[in-house]
Amino acid sequence: MAGVWILADRREQTLELLNIGREIATRLGTRLVALVSADLNQAQEYILHGADEVLIMPPLADEQPLSAYVPVIAEEARQNDPDIFLVAGTSQGKEMAARIAARLNTGLGSDCIGLNFDETQQKLVMDRLIYGGAAVQTVVCLTCPQMATVPPRMFAPATPQNGRQGVVRELAPPPPSGVKILSRKPREHAAGDITEAKVLVCVGRGFENQADLKLAQELAETIGGVIACTRPLAEELHWLPERSYIGLSGEKVKPELYIGVGVSGQIQHTTGIRDAKVICAINRDENAPIFDTADYGIVGDLYDVLPKLTEECKKALGK
Amino acid sequence: MPRIITCFKWVIDEADIKVVADSRELLLERVSYKISDYDRNAIEEAVRLFEQHGGSVAAITVGPPAAKKGLKDVLARGPEKAYFVNDSSFTELEPAQTAAILAKAIQTRIEYDLIICGEGSSDLYAQQVGPRLAELLGIPCATFVNKLTLDGEQLIAERKIDDGIEVVALTLPALVTVLPDINTPRIPGLKQTLEANKKPIVEITVKDLNQTFTPCLQTLKVRGTTMERNCQKFGAEPTEISKFVEALLKEGVIA
Ligand SMILES: Cc1cc2nc3c(=O)[nH]c(=O)nc-3n(C[C@H](O)[C@H](O)[C@H](O)COP(=O)(O)OP(=O)(O)OC[C@H]3O[C@@H](n4cnc5c(N)ncnc54)[C@H](O)[C@@H]3O)c2cc1C
Repeated sequence: MAGVWILADRREQTLELLNIGREIATRLGTRLVALVSADLNQAQEYILHGADEVLIMPPLADEQPLSAYVPVIAEEARQNDPDIFLVAGTSQGKEMAARIAARLNTGLGSDCIGLNFDETQQKLVMDRLIYGGAAVQTVVCLTCPQMATVPPRMFAPATPQNGRQGVVRELAPPPPSGVKILSRKPREHAAGDITEAKVLVCVGRGFENQADLKLAQELAETIGGVIACTRPLAEELHWLPERSYIGLSGEKVKPELYIGVGVSGQIQHTTGIRDAKVICAINRDENAPIFDTADYGIVGDLYDVLPKLTEECKKALGK
Repeated sequence: MPRIITCFKWVIDEADIKVVADSRELLLERVSYKISDYDRNAIEEAVRLFEQHGGSVAAITVGPPAAKKGLKDVLARGPEKAYFVNDSSFTELEPAQTAAILAKAIQTRIEYDLIICGEGSSDLYAQQVGPRLAELLGIPCATFVNKLTLDGEQLIAERKIDDGIEVVALTLPALVTVLPDINTPRIPGLKQTLEANKKPIVEITVKDLNQTFTPCLQTLKVRGTTMERNCQKFGAEPTEISKFVEALLKEGVIA
């Protein structure tokens, strides 16, 4: 029966995958199938946004994780033989995709930063970062379905088209799973969205204490920026919310200006700032790798430089 | 008493990779190798649980003969024994192959209650081997775990998902992949390094596994990423700082 299948755990990502999925399905001359959790109203919305068929996963018990659906989805895929299966690259999505791929004995391109459909070969040509971002690997899948996980916000959301018709079908409830959810805690939300900010002041391990971050905050306020950080500050020290860190496993950003303060510039971090218009760095180590990827750098101790720099910016901007 | 397996990969240190500016070819002649960063957390967590609950802890890796160097390193970090699934064709395995080889080796020769893998490998970072391995072994799995407690027959794992934190219970045997903030890996000292020399290493060949492992993915090309930037440096004196600010004003990025 074939088709292009998409799976996402949230609405935004479903809409993004509907957009790229619709394009590929049309070029392949096949149907677009969206797998969604629970809500019937959403099924109609997804049909208007490009799906030909919506497969609904019936609601889970409180203690059941989303991954309980892995065997159900894999079985459904085995029966319907999709050509291509795209999954949102969220943490749950990445786990689901890897497990489904294992069950179907097929290949999976993880975290694809580029997806091209080669019509002559009927292949999804996938670009992904390797070696912490030092290189791009281009892969194709030799088995079927060709699977890929796609990071959030890589594609624009699909736009609705009036009058589209489609089929809605409910999947079987999942079998009991060996994983039981005991509790959930929602994530704390970051103050400013670093992916939208025009100016980012990024703090790194060069800061000795959390309280010292106010030095960076003052600079950020002066130049109209938002605070971002490196992974260790969010994941190990928990000084800033997790959505604040930039890089390979964090957020990719595209500000006009990025200033890395006390950031060494390891490739896994700088991969996330590649698209910044201007990159600046403040580091006391003149050999820090960040200086090789920066347009302008100040070699100096951040505790000495930041107050002076904030002052100078205030003066220059008449604040 | 849990029998724990920790999986690790011997990888190129990405910090040593140089990119040829024009061709964007990678220069790998002078690279050094290391135990993949996240796997150090996986090894540490396995050893930590072993120290708390007893049982056993073994490390396993799949790779070409050159990966042998990683075995001493891993044993110095605490595991009692290492398994090395070794073949000269195992140089550029893709995740489906690695998981299939690990599954076969583990299934046929290692008894276990818990398998711990890193979140991803620091070279390919596909984040697939752990969850794929769990599926192939038919055991429950939790990925992106940042806290792990063993409570009799149950494993309690705190996992980080996009919306927040999920605390889950897994029935053993089970597999988890761990995040870097789960622990701080110990740095082996001289004593641990000497002790490592005496620990057993079990080599397993492809022939022993009696199966072929065909890739599901094909790499068409690899090219280095480059970042062309100004690389202009200033000092920390006031005059230098004002030059820096002038440069930003000229770029029109602050206002
Ligand atoms: C697979 C993988 C994925 C990863 N993903 C990410 C990611 O997405 N994002 C990310 O950020 N990291 C990521 N990392 C981690 C990354 O490799 C680095 O370890 C991390 O970015 C380093 O953070 P840092 O620059 O803050 O700290 P460090 O590397 O410790 O650097 C601190 C810097 O501060 C300077 N410094 C110290 N004191 C001062 C002072 N008083 N004044 C001025 N400068 C000072 C030092 O010279 C040094 O250069 C990943 C790693 C791996 C293996």
